[in-house]
Amino acid sequence: MINNRKYDVIVIGAGPSGVSSAINCAKKGLKVLIVDLNSNSGGQIYRAPPKTYKSISKKLEENVIQNKLSDEIKKFKIETAYNHTVWQVSPGFKVNAFNETSTIQWQSKSLIIATGTYEKIIPFEGWTIPGVIGLAACTVILKAHHFIPSKKIVLAGNGPLLMLVAYYVIQFGGKVDAIIDTSSKIDWIKSTLSLITNPKNFRDGIKWIFKIFLKRIPFYSNSTVEKAFEVDGGINVKIRNLKNGKAKNIISETIAIGHGLIPSTDITRLLRAEHIYDEQKGGWIAKVDRFLRSSISGVYIAGDGAGISGALAATDKGLLASSALLYDEKFISQTEFDHNTYKILKKLDKYEVFAKAIFKLNSTPKKLIESINNGTVICRCEDITKSEILRAVDQGAKDINQIKSWTRLGMGPCQGRTCHYATSKIVAEYLNCEIDNLGYLTGRSPIRPVPLDRVLGDFDYEKITKVEAAPL
Amino acid sequence: MTETDVAIIGGGINGGSTGLELAKNGLNVTIIDKNFICRGASGVNAGTLTMHMTRAQLIPYAKKGWELWMNTSEWLSKEIDVEKKNGLCLAFTEDEEKLLIERSKIRKEYGADISIISIKEAQRIDPNINSSIKCAAFCEMDGYVSANQTGNAYSKALKENKVKILENYDVSKIDYHKNKYVIIFKNGEKLTASSIILATGVNLEKTLKLLEINIKIKCLPQQLIVSERMPKIMDTVITVANGKLSLKQFKNGTVLIGGGWPGIGNVEDNYTETKPENLIGNMMLACHAIPRLKSSRVARVWLGLEAETDDAMPIIGEIPNYENAYIIGSIHSGYTSGPYMGKLLAEKILGKDIDLSLFDIKRFL
Repeated sequence: MINNRKYDVIVIGAGPSGVSSAINCAKKGLKVLIVDLNSNSGGQIYRAPPKTYKSISKKLEENVIQNKLSDEIKKFKIETAYNHTVWQVSPGFKVNAFNETSTIQWQSKSLIIATGTYEKIIPFEGWTIPGVIGLAACTVILKAHHFIPSKKIVLAGNGPLLMLVAYYVIQFGGKVDAIIDTSSKIDWIKSTLSLITNPKNFRDGIKWIFKIFLKRIPFYSNSTVEKAFEVDGGINVKIRNLKNGKAKNIISETIAIGHGLIPSTDITRLLRAEHIYDEQKGGWIAKVDRFLRSSISGVYIAGDGAGISGALAATDKGLLASSALLYDEKFISQTEFDHNTYKILKKLDKYEVFAKAIFKLNSTPKKLIESINNGTVICRCEDITKSEILRAVDQGAKDINQIKSWTRLGMGPCQGRTCHYATSKIVAEYLNCEIDNLGYLTGRSPIRPVPLDRVLGDFDYEKITKVEAAPL
Repeated sequence: MTETDVAIIGGGINGGSTGLELAKNGLNVTIIDKNFICRGASGVNAGTLTMHMTRAQLIPYAKKGWELWMNTSEWLSKEIDVEKKNGLCLAFTEDEEKLLIERSKIRKEYGADISIISIKEAQRIDPNINSSIKCAAFCEMDGYVSANQTGNAYSKALKENKVKILENYDVSKIDYHKNKYVIIFKNGEKLTASSIILATGVNLEKTLKLLEINIKIKCLPQQLIVSERMPKIMDTVITVANGKLSLKQFKNGTVLIGGGWPGIGNVEDNYTETKPENLIGNMMLACHAIPRLKSSRVARVWLGLEAETDDAMPIIGEIPNYENAYIIGSIHSGYTSGPYMGKLLAEKILGKDIDLSLFDIKRFL
C-alpha cells in the first residue's frame, strides 16, 4: 500500500484555489501532485458532472469554468490523483489516501491545503429524517447532476445560496413551496452596498431574486424551520417566526436547509497547527499569516480553509499561498514575491468587503440557537441530543473535548464536522462564555471513514506484520 | 495558602481511586491534574477487562479490580457503562496454540479461571469468530467499560465525597519542610499537604524528579481504532494468544480494535501520531478474528500514552526517604486492576497491614 512517491508539493483539493496554487508551483518547475476526492477538478462551486453523464446538453456557466480548470491542469502536466480520499496526513509530510480499490501514501516537502469549506446546518427537530438535505448539497445535485431532488421543495436557512438554489430549482422545472430565511429583508437591503463591490456576483443575485419574485414564491423572513416530520405525501414543515413567534405549517417533499459554510480544518487540526476562532471568517480556522502560511512550517492554506472569502477570491488565495511557498523554498526572489503578492493582497482586500456582507447574511442569530428544542439531536452520528450536551456541561465538562468524551458527541464517522459549530454555539450560549474558551475538537485520523476492505484488500494471515508478544 | 491532608498529583484512575477511598475514610483530599480528570490513558484506553491479557503476577489484583468494575454503582457512579462478557482468546496457528496453552496454564496458576476449549465450543460461545482457529482459551471473567465515560464517573464520585479537584493545575515544584509538603503550581498558587501521592501515569518520571528521584518510565504510544456503528457482529471480548489484540462491540454498535500496536508519540510534548502500517496490521488481525468486521469502516483512530517500568510491573507504595509520600502507577493492563490497586494503597496509608512489596519502588533505586 505504501507507494512512497515523492513530490515537492502536494495540493489537497482541486477547487479553484488548489488548481491556481498547483499551476503557480508547476510553472516554477516544482513537482506537484493535486489530490481530490471528486472525479475531476472544480471543487464544490465548479463541480464537474460525473464522467458517465455523456450528454449533459446545456452547460452551466460553472461547468464551463470547470472545463477551463481541467485544461490548465493538463497544460501544465500536473500530476493528479482524483477519486482519492485523504484520510491521514502526518508531519514530514506523508499523505495517505484511498480510492475505489486500494490505499496509497505519498510524500512531499510542502503541503498546500485547499480543502475549502463544508456546509453549516443548525439542527432542528426532525432534521435527520429522510427528505431533509443540505442547501449546499442541493446545489451539487443541481449544478453537477442537473436535476432537482424532488418536484416540490422548501428552501431554508440563510444567505445568497437560498436565492441561487431557488433559481436553479425553477430553471430545472421544480416548484419552490417556500423560502424560509433567518435574516430580515432589512439585512438584505443593508448588505446591498457591500455586495455591489462584486458586480458579477451582484448581477447574478439580482437575476435570481427577479426570478423568485416573478414566480411569487412565499418568502418567510426572520423565520426558521422549527420542526419537520413525515406525513402522507411528504414532509410537514413547521415554520416559526423568530421575531413575533408566529408558527405556520406547510407540506412539501424536500427541505434543503443551510446556514452558510464552515472552513475545513480537519487536516490542520490533525497536524496540530494553531487555530483561532473567528466568527466572521466561519468559526474555527487555522491561524495564518498575511501570505497564508500556517503555524506549521511548510503548510500553507489556500482558499476558504483559513477563513471564508468566497469562490472569486479563491484563485487569488491560491496564488498567494503558493507564492509564499515558492519564496520560502527559494524558487522566487524577494522582489518577485513582493511584486506578485502586492496586487493579490489589494484584490483580496476588495473581496473582503463582499465576504463580510455575505457573512452578515449568513450569521447565526442568537434566537436561532435558542429555538433548538432540548430533545433535538445535535450529533447525528451518535444520536446525542441538546439536553445530553447540557447535562454533561452541568456535570462539569469544561471544554468541547470533555463534552465529546463524556457524551460521544463528535466521535462518529463525520468526526464532528456537522455538530461542532452548533455545539459550540449552544454551550457558549448556555454558559454565557466565549466560544474560544471551549476549544475545538482534537483532530483525529481518519479524517474520512476508511472502508476496511479497501484498506486491507485480500490478505493471508501470514502476511500480517508480526509484532512482539505482550509480556506474560 | 490552602491546606489539605492528602494531595494527589494526577487525576487518573490510580489517583482517583486512591483519593476516593481516602476521602470515604474521612481524609481531606485534593486531586491535582495538569489537564482534566481521567483525560490521559484512563479516559482513552480500550476499556477491556480481560484476564487473557493480564500479566500473570497481576491476575489476583485484576480479578479484584474486575469485581469492582462490575459494581461501579456501589462505589463509583452510575455514569459509566460496564458490560460483563465472555472472553475468548484465539490461536490461529500451531505455534500460537502452543503459546496459548502455555500462557493460559500460567495465568490459571495465578488464579484466572481460564480453560482451553475446542473450535466447536468456541463457535458455540460466539459463532462470529473465524472458523479456522486451532483452539481458544475461555474465561467467563471478561468484559469492558466505556472508558470515555471514566472522567465523568470519577469527577462525580470525587465531588460527592468532597474531594477537591484542581484541574489545569501544573505542578512546578514540591518543597518539604516542617513535616509538610508545599506544592507550588505554575500559576503561582501553593498548596500545603501532610501527605502526597504521585499518580501522574506516563509523567511519573518527570514528577519523581521533583523529589530528586530518577527512575526510567517508558512511554508507550498505543493506537486504538473504532469502527462506525454496525449491526451486532460479535458477542464476546476477543483476544489472541500473543496478547496483541483486544476486540469488542459496544452497545451502540461500534467495534473497538485495540491490542497495543504502537504509534508514534512522546510524553514531553504530549504528542501522538498514528503509524499507518501498524494500524493496518492491527486491523488485519481484527478482521481475521471476526471476518464480518471487514464490511465496516473505520471512524476514528486515537492514541494514548501508557506508562511502563523496566520490568513492566507496577510501582505502588511508599517513597523512601520521604515521610508520608507515596506513588502509584505503571500498572500493566492498569485499567482493569487500577480501582483495586488504588484501594489497596489507600488502605495502606490508612494504617492497614497491606503487602505491596511486589511493587516496591526500591527495586529501581
